[in-house]
Amino acid sequence: MARVLENIGKELLRKNRIPTPDFLVVSDAEEAWKAADELGYPVVIKALVTVGKRGKAGAVKFADNSEEAEKIAKEILSMTVRNFPVERLLVEKKLDISQELYVSITFDSSKMMPIVIASSAGGIDIEEIARTQPEKIIKHHVNMFEGFHLYEAKEIWSDLGLAGSDLQKATAILWRLYQVFEKYDSTIMEINPLAITSGGEAAAAAILMGVDDDALYRQPDLSDKVEAGSDRAWRPLTALEKEMVAVDQSESYRGTARYTEMEGGDIGFLCGGGGGSLLIYDALLRFGGKPANYTEFGGNPTETKVTGLVKGVLSKPGVKSFFMDANITNNTQTDVVAKAIVRALQEMKIDPKKFPTLVRLAGVNDDEAKKICLEAGIEYHGDDITMEDAAQLIIDKMKSAHPEEVN
Amino acid sequence: MAILVDKDSKIVIQGITGREASMVTKHALEYGTRILAGVTPGKEGQDVAGVPVYDTLKRACQERELNTSVIYVPPAFAYDAVMEAIGNRIKLIVIITERIPRRDVAKFLLAAEKANCTIVGPNSVGVINPEDRIKLGAIGGDNVERCFVPGEVGVVSRSGGMTAECSWMVKRAGFGVSTSVSIGGDPLIGSSSRKILSMFSKDPKTKAVVMWGEPGTSYEEDVADFIKEGDFSKPLIAYIAGRFVEEMPEGTVFGHAASIIEGGMGKPSNKMERLRDAGCYVADNFNDIIRILQEVMVK
Repeated sequence: MARVLENIGKELLRKNRIPTPDFLVVSDAEEAWKAADELGYPVVIKALVTVGKRGKAGAVKFADNSEEAEKIAKEILSMTVRNFPVERLLVEKKLDISQELYVSITFDSSKMMPIVIASSAGGIDIEEIARTQPEKIIKHHVNMFEGFHLYEAKEIWSDLGLAGSDLQKATAILWRLYQVFEKYDSTIMEINPLAITSGGEAAAAAILMGVDDDALYRQPDLSDKVEAGSDRAWRPLTALEKEMVAVDQSESYRGTARYTEMEGGDIGFLCGGGGGSLLIYDALLRFGGKPANYTEFGGNPTETKVTGLVKGVLSKPGVKSFFMDANITNNTQTDVVAKAIVRALQEMKIDPKKFPTLVRLAGVNDDEAKKICLEAGIEYHGDDITMEDAAQLIIDKMKSAHPEEVN
Repeated sequence: MAILVDKDSKIVIQGITGREASMVTKHALEYGTRILAGVTPGKEGQDVAGVPVYDTLKRACQERELNTSVIYVPPAFAYDAVMEAIGNRIKLIVIITERIPRRDVAKFLLAAEKANCTIVGPNSVGVINPEDRIKLGAIGGDNVERCFVPGEVGVVSRSGGMTAECSWMVKRAGFGVSTSVSIGGDPLIGSSSRKILSMFSKDPKTKAVVMWGEPGTSYEEDVADFIKEGDFSKPLIAYIAGRFVEEMPEGTVFGHAASIIEGGMGKPSNKMERLRDAGCYVADNFNDIIRILQEVMVK
């Protein structure tokens, strides 16, 4: 999934006739108060970051004049919101809200259909509404061949107690929001709050939007505005992670490679497969190991790609071992992986006889993989041991190489 | 007996002339699987390892009786290929293609349900029935017996790679598999763990099932409910991977796209508790699967 920044999402909504408060994007305090002056007070100043729950993190504040706007802008710009340093702000006209509603559209993976969730108790997390006021929530599944009808949107709000002009306005917004959800291949589209102002207008005050990475090829309006795979990181990418993205994209026609740095750790860890990597990371922790990274590849990657990935794993400071562990492959050529590991070790001048190194690699062409590893002095295992056995072995190897660290 | 595929499976491969599909076709034929036809628009008259290629599935169906399709079509064309299979009354569609837009998946899943057609995947590595030597997809590669030998244990997995590894663990324990099913690691799939278990439940050959679970979705919770409702009474041995994900910031994907904890939902610890509570054998270590199987299968 690619998270969409609030300004981009709101522009898309406005383009599709869903009103939002007027806003400007700024990157320093001076720009902020000037923008606020232009919009007119009071204003809301928000951190422009892709993570949600900014209010709880103190990154959404109100200002009534230029001095306040400048002060708040400075404050929020110095913050890091859930690991994301704030570099830009959204300055927005504050609405005079009389009622807050909630609406979201996403895919329900139990029914495998889009689900519309609406509530008359907006402004707080949906989890909290579900806990405290479940009677104020309506869930509606959408049959994608029949579409989502205007009358269904109207029934939802009417059942939640809306009437008169509020009902008409909220209905139009909900119906249009579903069209936006489909049109832009969204995976999540949330408005919270959907504000009804004291003047009787309805507007999307705050939004959360995510789009499907796998559909970006047919979304020219979005492809250069969002970062694909942004739900795979809980903070901005590190320099090493960016290098590894480049390694992955260098030969994009074959195989995928993903590298995530973890805090601390001394085991340089490489895994084949999304499932196997979860298993081995858990096993290393359970057996008392400290993995330095979370890394997986799949889809029969090229030798160059795996070499780049292994070098990345080994170049993180503090890494004192190399551990490759994969499930028995269905189509990945293990000899190619073995060659890549040997090449990376040689290029980095690492002697696997001294530097704790262990490879568990079985599957397509593994006779050759075994030969390559053994000739290079790497401890090799195929399907003589299980994946978890291998995790225990690398930890034992680390303990004997660094007995001083055993506690 | 087995589930999904047996001697009556009449198999066609859509997108058969692609690099991976033609390799997989060769491996399947070598294993003994009969593949009757392939479809690639514009390539009618060619063959892949002796399997005739047709321009349309309709043409293939005119020449052969077909009921099972394996989809290898690129993501942008996968929606139409699946609709083509449904439209030509195919009863089982196994989708190998990865990265199909979610909106397309939701639509063809709905169409399949209406047509009473079973979909496995997308992003499946395949389905295998070793007794009848039928494999759909890359599952088992060119050395199938290494992991998949005939037996009485069913395997259902959200990870393609771990479908093979789990089946190999079954073999290491001294048993074999009735059917192994890779259901795919995406948030929208045609056959959830629960659906596959309901098939294993009715299969007289299957005496026990090994299930590989991951963070995210409610597939494992649904299985726990299914057992509690009394609809599955065979021993179920479950391993839930990715417990460390609970310690990471919420909303981060590790591994497969569906492997995400959001709003406190989809935690492995909760899944394990629910399954234990329903009477499953939940393996703390992956290695424990061997010991548990040996205990369960002699009972």
